[in-house]
Amino acid sequence: MTIETTDAAPPGIDELCRYAERLTESTPGPLKSLRVRSGDLLVELEWSRPEAVTVAESGTTLATVGVTVTAETPTAVEDGTFVVSAPLVGTFYRAASPSERPFVQVGDVVVAGQQVGIVEAMKLMNPVEAERPGRIVDVLVADGTPVEYSDALIVLAPA
Amino acid sequence: MFSTVLIANRGEIALRVARTCREMGIRTIAVCSDSDRESAVARYADKCVRIGPAQPRRSYLNAAALVTAALQNGAEAVHPGYGFLSEDPDFAEICEANGLTFVGPPAALLRRLGDKAQAKEIARAAGLPVLPGSSRSLLTAEEAREVADRIGYPLIVKATAGGGGRGMTVVRDSRDLGRAWGQARAVAQATFGDPRLYIERFLENARHIEVQVLGDGRGGVVELGERDCSVQRRRQKLIEETPAPGLPRELSERIRAAAVHAACEVNYAGAGTYEFLVDDGDFVFMEVNCRIQVEHPVTELVTGIDLVREQLRVAAGYGLSVTQADVQLRGVSIECRINAEDPLRDFMPTPGTVTEFLPPSGHFVRVDTHGFPGFRVTADYDPMLAKVSVWAPDRRQAIARADRALQEFRVVGRGVHTTQEFLREVLRHPAFRAAKHTTDLVDTMNQEPEHG
Repeated sequence: MTIETTDAAPPGIDELCRYAERLTESTPGPLKSLRVRSGDLLVELEWSRPEAVTVAESGTTLATVGVTVTAETPTAVEDGTFVVSAPLVGTFYRAASPSERPFVQVGDVVVAGQQVGIVEAMKLMNPVEAERPGRIVDVLVADGTPVEYSDALIVLAPA
Repeated sequence: MFSTVLIANRGEIALRVARTCREMGIRTIAVCSDSDRESAVARYADKCVRIGPAQPRRSYLNAAALVTAALQNGAEAVHPGYGFLSEDPDFAEICEANGLTFVGPPAALLRRLGDKAQAKEIARAAGLPVLPGSSRSLLTAEEAREVADRIGYPLIVKATAGGGGRGMTVVRDSRDLGRAWGQARAVAQATFGDPRLYIERFLENARHIEVQVLGDGRGGVVELGERDCSVQRRRQKLIEETPAPGLPRELSERIRAAAVHAACEVNYAGAGTYEFLVDDGDFVFMEVNCRIQVEHPVTELVTGIDLVREQLRVAAGYGLSVTQADVQLRGVSIECRINAEDPLRDFMPTPGTVTEFLPPSGHFVRVDTHGFPGFRVTADYDPMLAKVSVWAPDRRQAIARADRALQEFRVVGRGVHTTQEFLREVLRHPAFRAAKHTTDLVDTMNQEPEHG
C-alpha cells in the first residue's frame, strides 16, 4: 500500500522528514519502504498488510492525502476524505466535451457510481466514477492533463 | 535513430534494453505496474509511467495503456522485450497504426510465424526437415485421432498460439489422447486465448539447438551461431550455452545454413531464433521466436555483437551493422538462469522480500538482473531473479567459471529460495560435463536418489 501526500505550499525537507517519521509510527503493518522527496513534495510509505489506514494527526500542514491502492477502491484517510484516482493511463477531462459543463465542481454532492470525469486513452472515453457518495472537496488535475494509472484526480469528503 | 523509446516490459530485460538505449543516446520510457513501482528499470529509465495494477492483463499486456504511455511521452518506438506482447501481431499493428515503430518483425510476419502450425509449414516449404505431424491446426479430437494413428506415439500436442515451451502435452498411449486433447485445448484457450492445437511426433532424447539470426528486412540475414538449450525442466530452459558442445561442425553448419535460408525466405527483420531438435546426427525444425530471447547474452559474449542495438538499428531503418564475414565466434559462453524457486519442493516459486542481494562479479562474468536488496519476489510474475553468464576460451573453464559465479551469488530473504545450488549440480553432472545430455537430463536428475 502506498500513501502519497501533496500540498500547495510545500514545507522544507526537515518538516517533511518529521512528518514522514510520524507517519511511519501509524502504519498498520511492518514498514517496507519510505520515500521522502522535497521538490514536488512527496511522502510515500509502503507496508505489507492491505487494511484500510488511519494516518497521521489532524492539523498538519498537509492539505490532501491521497491513498493509491487500486484505482477502484478509494480509501478513507485522515478526516475521512477519499480520492478518486485514474483507472488507467490517459488524458483526464472534466467534461464530456469542451463546450459542456464539467461533470462536477467543488462543493457538488455526488452519489455512488456518478460520473465525475473522463480518462481518454486511444480515443476511448473511459468514465471515471465516484465509488462512494460524497462532496467534491478538490479537483487535483486540470482539464486535458495526461495522467498515469492511479494518479489521484478528485478529493471527496463524506456528504 | 530514435530519440525516445518506450520499453513495454519489466524485469531484467527492460533494464537490458534501457542500457543499450542509454549507450545509443536514446531517451528511455519505462512502464510499471503497481507492484513494480520501485523496480530497477523504473529507477534507471529517464521516465517511468504507471500503466496499471499488478495483473499483467491490465498492465504489461494492456496494449492501449502501453501505446497511450508511449504517445504521451513522445516515444517514437516501442521495444517489447520478450514474453508479454513481444510477439503479438495485434500489438505490433496498434503501434504502427499510432505512428510508433514496433521493434521487431512486421505484424504480418509475426502473424505467420506466430501460428506454430503455419510456421512449420513455411519451414517445410523452404526445404527444412520437420517432424511428422499435422500440417495445420486441428479443431476436433477426431481429426487429432486420425493424425495420431498416422504418425504414431509418443506424440506431442502443442498450442498453435503457444511457444516458449508453454502449452505442450506429451501423449505416450493412444488411450490417453482424448483426455490430453481436451485438457490441452482448455489450457491453450486459457493461456493464449486460442484453443487451436496441432500434433507432431515427440522426440524422446533430443537436444535443443537454436540459431540466432539477425535480418535486415530486405532479404539480408546474418547468423550468430547456435545455442544449446537442452538443460530444461518441463520445457523451461535452465542453462544455455554456445557453441553447442560436441555438435559435429558439419551438422552445426547445416543447421545454421537452414536457419539463414528460412529467414531469408520470409525477409526476416530484427533478431530472431530458429529452434531445432537434434537427434542421432539429424535435425528437425521446431519453431521461430520473433523476439530477443532470454538466453541472448551467450551469443553476445562469443560474438561481441549487441543484439538489442541491432534490433533498434533495423527498426530505425539503418540496417545491420555487421555482415556475415564480421561474425567471429570466439570461445564458450554459458548462461544460468537463477529462479526464486525451491528445488526441494518441486521448484515451487518462493515469494518474499530479498534482504541481501550480492550478485557474482569478477573476470568474464556478466549478470543480467533486476534484483537488489529490498527487492520483492511476487507471485504475479515469472520467478526469474537473474541470469549469470560467463565467457571462457574453452568449455571446461567456462563450466568452472559458471560454478564459481553461482557459488558467489548471495541471495537471502525470508522464505526466498533459489535454484543456484541445483544449477551447480547440473554443471557437475557427468552427462552435462561430457556433453551427452539431452532435454531429459533434469527430469532424470530429479529421479536420482538424492533428489527424492
